[in-house]
Amino acid sequence: MKKSIKRIFSATLAAMLLIGMPGCGQKEEAGTSTEFSPKYSTETEYKLTVAGSYANFESLESACERFYAYYPNGEIEYVYLDDYRNTIIPALAGQEPPDIYVVQHWMYGDDQFAPLFEGAEVLSDPELDINLDSIRPGVRWETDNGDILTLPIFATSYGMLVNMDIFEKENLEVPKNYNELVETCEKLKAAGYDSPVMGANTTTTPGVGYAFAYPLFAKTVKDDRSVEAGLNNLDPAAGEAMRDSLTRLKEFVDSGCIDVEKCSAEIEDDYNSVIMRFFEGDVPMMLCSGDVVSGTKKRESTSEAFSANPFRYDFYVAPSGDETGYYMDSVSILFCVNKNSENLDMTNEFIRFLTSEDQLGLMAQEKRLINPTDDYFIDEVYSSLSGFSEDCTVNSRDIELLDTAVKQFRAAAFAVVNGEMTVDEAVAGYGSLPTD
Amino acid sequence: MKKRNIIIINILIVGLILFVIVKYANDRAHESNLASIASFEKMTTTTGQIIANYLEDEQHLCDIWANYINRSAEAGEPMTVDVAISYIRKAKISPEISGHLIYIDDGSLDGISTSASTTDPSDYSVDYSPINLFDDLENGIAEGQVHLTRAYTNPLNGVQSIAFWNRVKVLDDESGDVRDGLVIRVVPVSSLEHKLVFLEGEYENVEISLIDWDGDYLIHGKSLKNSNFFEYFKSYNPMSPQEYNEVLNSIRTDIGSMHIRNSKNEDSFIAYTPLRGLTSWYLIAYIPAKELTDSKSIDWLLLGIASVGLIILLLFNMCILRGYNRRLSVAAEAANQANEAKSLFLSTMSHDIRTPMNAIIGMNEMIIRDSHEEETLMYADSIRTAGETLLGIISDILDFSKIEAGKMEIIPVDYGFVSLLNDLVNMVQRRAEEKGLTFELDIDRNIPSVLCGDEIKIKQVITNILSNAVKYTKEGGIVFSISCNKCEDDGDAVILHVSVKDTGIGIKKEDLDKLFVAFERIEEKKNRNIEGTGLGMAIAESFLSMMGSRLCVESEYGKGSVFSFDLKQKVVNPEPMGEFDAAYKRYLSNRKQYKSKFVAPKARILVVDDTEVNLKVFVNLLSKTKMQIETADSGDAAITLFKRNFYHVIFLDHMMPDKDGIETIKEMKACMDTPNKETPVICLTANAVSGMREMYIEAGFNDYLTKPIDTGRLEKMLLKYLPHNIVEEVTEDKSSLTPENRHSILVINEDVNILRRLKEWLSDSYDVTVVKSKEQATAYLKNHEPELILAGNESSFENEKYNSKIIRFDSGETDQGGVVSLAADFFEGNQ
Repeated sequence: MKKSIKRIFSATLAAMLLIGMPGCGQKEEAGTSTEFSPKYSTETEYKLTVAGSYANFESLESACERFYAYYPNGEIEYVYLDDYRNTIIPALAGQEPPDIYVVQHWMYGDDQFAPLFEGAEVLSDPELDINLDSIRPGVRWETDNGDILTLPIFATSYGMLVNMDIFEKENLEVPKNYNELVETCEKLKAAGYDSPVMGANTTTTPGVGYAFAYPLFAKTVKDDRSVEAGLNNLDPAAGEAMRDSLTRLKEFVDSGCIDVEKCSAEIEDDYNSVIMRFFEGDVPMMLCSGDVVSGTKKRESTSEAFSANPFRYDFYVAPSGDETGYYMDSVSILFCVNKNSENLDMTNEFIRFLTSEDQLGLMAQEKRLINPTDDYFIDEVYSSLSGFSEDCTVNSRDIELLDTAVKQFRAAAFAVVNGEMTVDEAVAGYGSLPTD
Repeated sequence: MKKRNIIIINILIVGLILFVIVKYANDRAHESNLASIASFEKMTTTTGQIIANYLEDEQHLCDIWANYINRSAEAGEPMTVDVAISYIRKAKISPEISGHLIYIDDGSLDGISTSASTTDPSDYSVDYSPINLFDDLENGIAEGQVHLTRAYTNPLNGVQSIAFWNRVKVLDDESGDVRDGLVIRVVPVSSLEHKLVFLEGEYENVEISLIDWDGDYLIHGKSLKNSNFFEYFKSYNPMSPQEYNEVLNSIRTDIGSMHIRNSKNEDSFIAYTPLRGLTSWYLIAYIPAKELTDSKSIDWLLLGIASVGLIILLLFNMCILRGYNRRLSVAAEAANQANEAKSLFLSTMSHDIRTPMNAIIGMNEMIIRDSHEEETLMYADSIRTAGETLLGIISDILDFSKIEAGKMEIIPVDYGFVSLLNDLVNMVQRRAEEKGLTFELDIDRNIPSVLCGDEIKIKQVITNILSNAVKYTKEGGIVFSISCNKCEDDGDAVILHVSVKDTGIGIKKEDLDKLFVAFERIEEKKNRNIEGTGLGMAIAESFLSMMGSRLCVESEYGKGSVFSFDLKQKVVNPEPMGEFDAAYKRYLSNRKQYKSKFVAPKARILVVDDTEVNLKVFVNLLSKTKMQIETADSGDAAITLFKRNFYHVIFLDHMMPDKDGIETIKEMKACMDTPNKETPVICLTANAVSGMREMYIEAGFNDYLTKPIDTGRLEKMLLKYLPHNIVEEVTEDKSSLTPENRHSILVINEDVNILRRLKEWLSDSYDVTVVKSKEQATAYLKNHEPELILAGNESSFENEKYNSKIIRFDSGETDQGGVVSLAADFFEGNQ
């Protein structure tokens, strides 16, 4: 009897302790709490529209649901705009302008898209009380005068999906530099993998050439920003900056690590096909972008091969350098607030709500894109990016290449990969390489 | 019924009531919900019709534009694009609606609009080529068909819109060709949404959505996420592909409704209907399930009140029940205490009465053994009779107490039937004779000699019946008969039919029921002089019931009664017992003065009792055995002797002051330094209540003997425990009893009873012949020569030959002592 009473007493104490623990934690964190606190009456009625180029934006819808918990008497509608780059500006000038709209990094500096930035609210305005410190500096985008007009929602990068089960099975380490890559590929070929590396043979950002060589090219620009102006001005002489990266790309293609023809034959597009081919389970490394990775979670269940034989996979930077690979810390999409919004207060309130490690992390996790905050571990697939050295990282503050310059590189890389041009020809043709 | 069972039954009843309430309410709610769902479906269908009408109207307006333009072309004067768009600009009324006219024959999908671009007021050009909107232009245009696009972004103002279109032929003023084009009536989605607000009717949270064949929304509510309804549905409602396809098929082809889970995993409800006039557009009305069914669901508050009420009622009843139980417990406790007091009283009474009775009966036995004075013997015999009656009363009370306590058990043993009859007749015969009643026996000679049954209880049942017969009969006599029949269903058993018929006072019919009621005596006032507790018949009935029989009573008030019962007994020895008279005679002839069963001069006995007179009684009762009997008047004195001297048997009283028998025997058993380690110790007790035997055996006694001490049982017990080598059994001197050596007496008297008594009294010592008349006497004397003739003084018998041998006696004042001494004196004188 005594024993039972003691047991009950102990259990009660333990339960109280357990219940009390989170309370203690909460109290401790109170001073640094990032929990959202509504600025306006929670009874406020509102209707906001977010315009974007994603056909689907479920992670935003989830964030809206969380916002409704604070402001239930409103609605935030996501609107997909057809032909976004041509319709967003008329939309902002039209009868039903969106309150928030998506911009991308390459739009900046293009006169066509100037209204997007001219009409954007300055989010760094202290009056708005938006805590932009939670954004990783590499993706926090400030204008020349120090204003922050955009909120990065997702970050992305370029690299490769690695089938970890194959590496484990073959007792191999994921290569960290180019030599290791070649050695690893030789071993994998010996083990029966015809094309140890695959990818979409396209001119787009997830394409083989861009995913493998662009970070190396970006690193070259970062190390010598004097070439930046020439590149942005499409000066043919500036094309020399591409030489090292294109040469490495050529070596890579010639090394037999990748069977370009096989890639062209088996991977029809730069997104869905890339994922579904990777899920076949026989590709050790698949070059792609972070945006491709974002589509993997949904497709795991639709791939019969993956469902039958699931495997662990992670995202790594492509090991294109002599010593290491280079991590492109790029912004995927950004939100701008329409400063002419009829519901500007509530729009800013929603942005203030989103601008937290928690909300951005949740959105990135749901979308399976890279979190714009410092927390890479929110999705294990990106954990290899955590702690990447500053030297080997290139972010949007490090280089300011315009979209036109980037397109030239993509075209050059595609031409080299497919043998349409030699490296010399590609370098010499900079500025006039066909891009469409 | 146990308290737990009552509580369980109450809970079950409450549960049943609640179940019925819930079931009823649930059924009503279910019916109500079905009605709500039907109503919601109806609202959806109506809304669908209204929307279809609206879309048809919009299409009709678009068709009017197209017809007007086409009529010009048909008339050979096709409009230029500018003229056509001017016409549309004038024709359209609403400023929010715009008209676009684009070329389709070259696939350019560009043209002009009624409204300028929002970014350039001078720019009316429009280009649909980047928008994947008109894939099915190859299909023909059906009359009355609504040609509706998906929701798309108006290239000129970025507004989400829907468009109605029709083909037109217009003149290209640059080339001068008549070209194929599309006239498009562009309607903002918001304008459609505003109209839907008014269609939501009574439902506060209903959300109307329109989807196309693929599930893409034309418009959708706040709760339906994703850009595609089917994707949304699949995300939050996991199911097999087959089930999913069935859902899709149902939405695309039927009017109906279904439960779905929304993005918060909440139960929701959708109703769907195809839009009339459109080939692949469907209306989905969404509503949270709780709004649709809340008001129609079970009234939980009412149910809660009913439940609480029932539980309160249950608790109230349980409190009341608890109160009753508490009072019952108190009453039961009191009854237990009373019962314990009764047991204590019975024990004490038994002990306290038996203790002096031991002295009375024991000493009286000594008088009977030792006295030769007739008068003294007569007094002593009366004392014995009274003593036996008193013991019988005590036994009755103790037996009844055992029956009440449920401790009475049937203990079957093998017994000789003659012996049983002997005991019965011996006991009743004397009482009957003392009252001047005849006692006739009618015993079936075929009764098996040895049966198996509870001899003691059978004897007690018959004794009680016979005792009653004697007690309640003033005149006449008693007939005791036993017959025997084979048991039909058991070949190893017989059915004894026992019957006692008397000529007593009889019992009134209305009093028959009282006969077996304990402590109830019939006609108490009238019979108050008759001794008895009123337990005899109750005990007899209880015993018979335990043995599977029952007592039957036939009685006629004032004339007498017949008590009878049938009893099944196992047969052990089927040999018939023969004529009981002969056996009875043997018994009578064997009845004689006490003689000890054995002598054991070497036997050493210790008897312990705190009452000096009881020690004397014990010693005297066994004096003829010549045993060496030592006495002790306390436990301590006994232990001293126990340690010092060897005894063959020790008799130890239970109830003694200071150290009682149980404490004494425990000390004895613990004592190692004694020559009496193996000596049997027999409890001598006046305590004869139920359970005593077990208690004494458990305490360490080998056996127990109740007081008053029955000499026969005492001697039997000694024979059992004494070593055989020191016991010498006494063999009776049969020679003195042989008829040849006995004096013969002829008794003449008209009264049969007197004859029977005299025969009994004299048969022990003499060869007695009784006759009723002088004629019988004369006839007897022809063949016999009696040594003495006893003739009643009223008898006229005379015989010269025997004059010296005739002694007259007073028939009215005969007594055993007088008659025996008369005969003894005669033969002594002759000697």
